Amino acid sequence: MNTASAKTTTITYDDRTVRQFMIASIVWGIVGMLVGVICATQLSWWQMNGKFLEALTGGLFKGEGMQYITFGRLRPLHTNAVIFAFVGNMAFAGIYYSTQRLCKCRTASDLLSKIHMWGWQLIIVAAAITLPAGLTRGKEYAELIWPINLAVVVIWVVFAVNFFWTLAKRNEPSLYVALWFYIATIVTVAMLYIVNHLSIPTSLIHSYPIFGGLQDGLVQWWYGHNAVAFFLTTPILGIMYYFLPKAANRPVYSYRLSIIHFWSLVFIYIWAGPHHLLNTSLPRWLQMLGMLFSLMLWAPSWGGMLNGLLTLRGAWAKLRTDPVIKFFAAGITFYGMATFEGPLLSIRAVNALSHYTDWGIGHVHSGALGWNGFMAAGMFYWLAPRLWKTKLWSTSWANMHFWVGLVGILLYVVAMWTAGIMQGLMLGEVAEGGTTLKYEFVETLKAIQLPYILRSIGGTLYLIGFGMCAVNIFKTARSGSAHDDTVEVVVPDKKHDTMRIGAAVFNDPVAYCVLGLAAMILWFFLPPHADKAALLVAVLLSVKAIRAFQKNAHAWDHWHESLLRNYLPFTLLVFIAVAIGGSVQIIPSLLVNRDKNIEGRLQELYTPLELAGRDLYVNEGCYNCHSQMIRTLMPDVMRYGRAGKTDDFSHLGESLYDHPYQWGSKRTGPDLAREGGDFVAGSEHVRSGKRDNKWHWFHFMNPRWANEDSNMPPYPWLYEQKTDFKSLPGKIAVQRRLGVPFPAWTKDEIDQQAREQGMAIARSLFEGDAPVGYEPMKGASTEELVRHFSESQVVAMIAYIQKIGTYREITKDGPPQPMPLDPDSYRKLTEKNEAFRKGETTTNP
Amino acid sequence: MNPEIKRGNYAKEKGEVILREHEYDGIQEFDQKLPNWWLFTFYGAIVWFVVYWGLYYHSNVYQTDQEKIIAQVGALQEKKDAELAATLASLDDETLIGKWSTDPAIVAAGEATYMVNCVACHAADLSATMDVAGNKIPLPGRALNDGVWEHGGKPMDVFKIINEGTPEGSTGLNGAKMQAWGQMLSPKQVAEVTAYLISRNSAEFAN
Repeated sequence: MNTASAKTTTITYDDRTVRQFMIASIVWGIVGMLVGVICATQLSWWQMNGKFLEALTGGLFKGEGMQYITFGRLRPLHTNAVIFAFVGNMAFAGIYYSTQRLCKCRTASDLLSKIHMWGWQLIIVAAAITLPAGLTRGKEYAELIWPINLAVVVIWVVFAVNFFWTLAKRNEPSLYVALWFYIATIVTVAMLYIVNHLSIPTSLIHSYPIFGGLQDGLVQWWYGHNAVAFFLTTPILGIMYYFLPKAANRPVYSYRLSIIHFWSLVFIYIWAGPHHLLNTSLPRWLQMLGMLFSLMLWAPSWGGMLNGLLTLRGAWAKLRTDPVIKFFAAGITFYGMATFEGPLLSIRAVNALSHYTDWGIGHVHSGALGWNGFMAAGMFYWLAPRLWKTKLWSTSWANMHFWVGLVGILLYVVAMWTAGIMQGLMLGEVAEGGTTLKYEFVETLKAIQLPYILRSIGGTLYLIGFGMCAVNIFKTARSGSAHDDTVEVVVPDKKHDTMRIGAAVFNDPVAYCVLGLAAMILWFFLPPHADKAALLVAVLLSVKAIRAFQKNAHAWDHWHESLLRNYLPFTLLVFIAVAIGGSVQIIPSLLVNRDKNIEGRLQELYTPLELAGRDLYVNEGCYNCHSQMIRTLMPDVMRYGRAGKTDDFSHLGESLYDHPYQWGSKRTGPDLAREGGDFVAGSEHVRSGKRDNKWHWFHFMNPRWANEDSNMPPYPWLYEQKTDFKSLPGKIAVQRRLGVPFPAWTKDEIDQQAREQGMAIARSLFEGDAPVGYEPMKGASTEELVRHFSESQVVAMIAYIQKIGTYREITKDGPPQPMPLDPDSYRKLTEKNEAFRKGETTTNP
Repeated sequence: MNPEIKRGNYAKEKGEVILREHEYDGIQEFDQKLPNWWLFTFYGAIVWFVVYWGLYYHSNVYQTDQEKIIAQVGALQEKKDAELAATLASLDDETLIGKWSTDPAIVAAGEATYMVNCVACHAADLSATMDVAGNKIPLPGRALNDGVWEHGGKPMDVFKIINEGTPEGSTGLNGAKMQAWGQMLSPKQVAEVTAYLISRNSAEFAN
C-alpha cells in the first residue's frame, strides 16, 4: 500500500451519528434501568404497582393499583428498553464509529444514518407508550405490536443497506474481525426478527402469531435465545475487537482464535434455543439438541473471552490508571462467567432446579449488567474525549462508577443465585413421610424476600453508577466541542470484491463443512442403523477434512483470506451458517402434522368469552409471572398435577391451539396449567376449575385475601372496564385462518355466546345465598350487578382461568408408528413408552 | 513494537508468537496456537454430544422423561395409599376427639396448616365471611363454626371431606367445590386440621 503511485483521498468521518446514538443509549439506559429498579421493588412490595402513588400524590391518585405500571406491563418495558434501546443504541454507536475507520471511508449515506438514528428512537418511544398501555404480542422480547414490528424491520433494513453500502465503498480491502461480527449481527437479527414476528393482524393494535403451541414456543426461544446471541453478544464482541486493542494499545491475542471462535460461535449459537424449554413437553430430540449444542457453545464463547483478556497481556498496568481498561476487563470477565453459567444451566438436571426461578434472572443480569453495561461504559469513556476533542471530565468519577457498579452487580447476582437456588430447592422439598411437598408456593416466595430486597439495592447501586457515567459524559461533552475526525487514506487499486459466489462456495473447506453437516443432520433423522451409517460418514469426513487441512493449510488459508476481501460471499456464508440450526429444529415441527403430535390430549377450543379473557391475560402480561407448563419433574407434578393421575404433566396437545403459546419462563407465582376444569353439570357456560369463580373474584380484587404473603398486584380496573366483544368475530376469523378449528359462527352467534357466558358467570357470582357484593356499586340491584359484570373484564378473565388446560383424551389404536423427521419415534420403545404414546397412561401403569 | 517479535502470517509451533503483517486502522494482531485446555473443552463437548445421543437413542441406559415420571408418580401413589391406609387404621372418631383434639401440639400444627391453606375460603374465625367496610361478605367456603356439617358431622367425616374434597355428584355450595387436599397434605396433616376444627367446636363434638 506504500507504493509511490498510490492515490490518496481525504475523509471526514460521520461522528455526529455516533454522538447521537451514544447520547440516546445513555438516556434510554437510565430509563430502562430505572424501570428495572421499580420492577424489582414491585416483587417485594405489591404497593409499588400503583398504590404508592396515593402517598406520593398526597391522595390525588386513589386506588389499589394502576394498570399502566403493574409488573406484568413494566417488565416487558424494562427488557425491551435495556435490550433494544440501551444496548441497541450503544451497539449502533460502536458500529458506526468503528466501521468507518475499519473501512477507511465515511458511512455511505448520511440520510440513511439519520433515518436509522431517528427511526430507532421513534420506535423506542412507541414501545414506551404501547407496552404500559397493555398492547403486546405476549412473547418475551417480541412484545411490540405489529405496526411497530414493521417499523423495526424497515429501520433494520435501512441500517443494513447503509452498512453494506459502506463496506462496498471501503478503502481497506480486507475485513477486520469486528466487521465479521457486525455482519453476523445484521443478517441474523433480520432472520430471527422476521420469523418470530410473523403474525396476522386482527386490528391496528392486535395480532395473533402464525405459530401456536409447541411451534410458537420453539420459534420464540430460537429468537429469544439468539436475541441474546446476536443482539447482546456479537455486536459487542465486534466492539470489543475494535475498542479493546485501541484502548490497551496491544495487538489482539490470536488471529486464528478469532477465526475459529467466530465461525463456531455463529454456527452453534443458533441451535441452543430449546434449552429454554427443557423438561417441558418439547419433544426430547429438540431438548437434546438444545442442551448438547449449549455445552458445545462453551468453548467458542470462551474463545471470545480469551481473545479479549489475553490481549490485555502486557497492558495490565493500565488497569490501575485507565477506567476504560477497568470496564473492559471486568466486562469481558463477566462475559466469561455468564457463558460458563449458560451451558451449566442448559444441563437438564441443573435446569430442573434453576428454570422458572430467579437463577435465570441472575444469569441474564450478569450478562446485561456485567458484559453489556460495562462494555458500554468502557466504550463511552473511550469515545467521549475523542468525539468532543477534549479530556474525560473526571477519571475519579469514572473509577467511582466502576466500583459502585461492580458492587451493584455482585449484590444483584449473588442475591439472585441465592433466591433462585433456595426457591428451587424449597419447591422440590418433600414433607416428612415423603408423600407431599413441604412448602406452599407462597411460602417459598416469602423465604426469598431478603434476597429480593438486596437485588433492588444492587440494581439501584448500578443505576447510580450509570448516572455518574451520564454526568461524566455530559460534562466531558460540555468541556469540548463536537469533533469529526478527518484523515487521509490511501485508495487501493480495486482488487477486492471480485470473488464470484461459486469460488466462495465450491471449495474444499465449504464442501467438507456442508457434507459433514449434512451427514450429521441425517444422523439425527434417519431410522435406526441408517443413522449410524450417517454418523460414520460424518466422522470419516471430519477425519478427511483434518487431513486435507494439514496438507493444504496454505490453500485453505488463502481461501479464507480472499473471502475476507469479498464482503458479499462472506455474508452469504455467514447466513448459511446461521440458517442451518433453526431450519433443522423448526421445519420438522411445521411439516409433521401437528394434530399427530399431541401425546393423547387434544386441547378444547375456547369459547368466545374465554378467548377474550385470554387476550386480557396476555395484555396484562400474566405470563411474566405465571407458567402454563407442568414439566416432567416430580416437584412440578406433585405440586400442580391432579390427584390420582400419574401422567398429569403438560402434554403437547393441551396448548396446541394457543396463539401465542403461554408456557412462560419464570414463576413468581404458581403454574396455572391445571386451573381450569369442565363445565358444571347442566351448564354450558360456567366451569368449575381447581378453584371456583368467587375465589378468583376475591383474588383479582385483592390477592392478599387468599394469602397475605402474595406479591401479586390487585387488578381493580378489571371490575370497571368492559370486555371488547366487538373485536371477537375478527379475532376468531383470524384464528380459523391459522388452523384453529372454530366452527363457522356468525358474528351474532359469537356475540351472543360471549354475552350469555358473561351473564351466566356473573349470575354465579351475584345470585344465590352468598353474593360476592361490590362496594363501589352499593345499592345496585342484583340484576344491575349481573348486567354490569357480564360485560366486565374480570368475568372474561375468570372465564379464561377456568378454562386453562382443559382437553379431550384421544386414544390411538395400534402400536406407535415411526414418523419421519421425528427422531424420538425411532427410539427403542419399551412397553411403558409405547403405552404412553398410545395414550393409555391415564391410569396407573 | 518489540523488535524480537517475529512478523509473518501464522504461528507454526506451540508457544510461538507471530505478529501479523496487516494492520487495521492501527490495530495489530498476533497469531498463536490455541491453549490445549480450550481445545479439549471444545472437542470434549463434541464427543459428549455423540456419546450421549447414542446412549439415549440406542441403549436402555436412559428412560424417556414420560416413562420416568409416570413410574415415579406411580410409586408415590402407592406410598400415599399405604400411608393413608395406615393413618385410617389408627384413627377413629374417639381418638380424634379424645386424643388428637386435646393435644396442644397437634392442634397448633393443624391450625398452622389451616392458616396457610384454608383461611381464604373459610376465614380465620371459621365463619366463612369477610369483613368489608363493616359488611359481612360471604366467602366461597362453608362456615365451620355454625354446627352444620353438610357432609357428615362425625370427625372421620370431616377428615374424609378434607382429604377427598367435595364428594363426587355433589353440586357444592352455590356451585363451589372444594379441592381434594389429600393431594397437597399428608394424612397426618389432614388429621391435624381435623383435630384443630374439633378443638374449635369442642362443645359440639363432646356430645
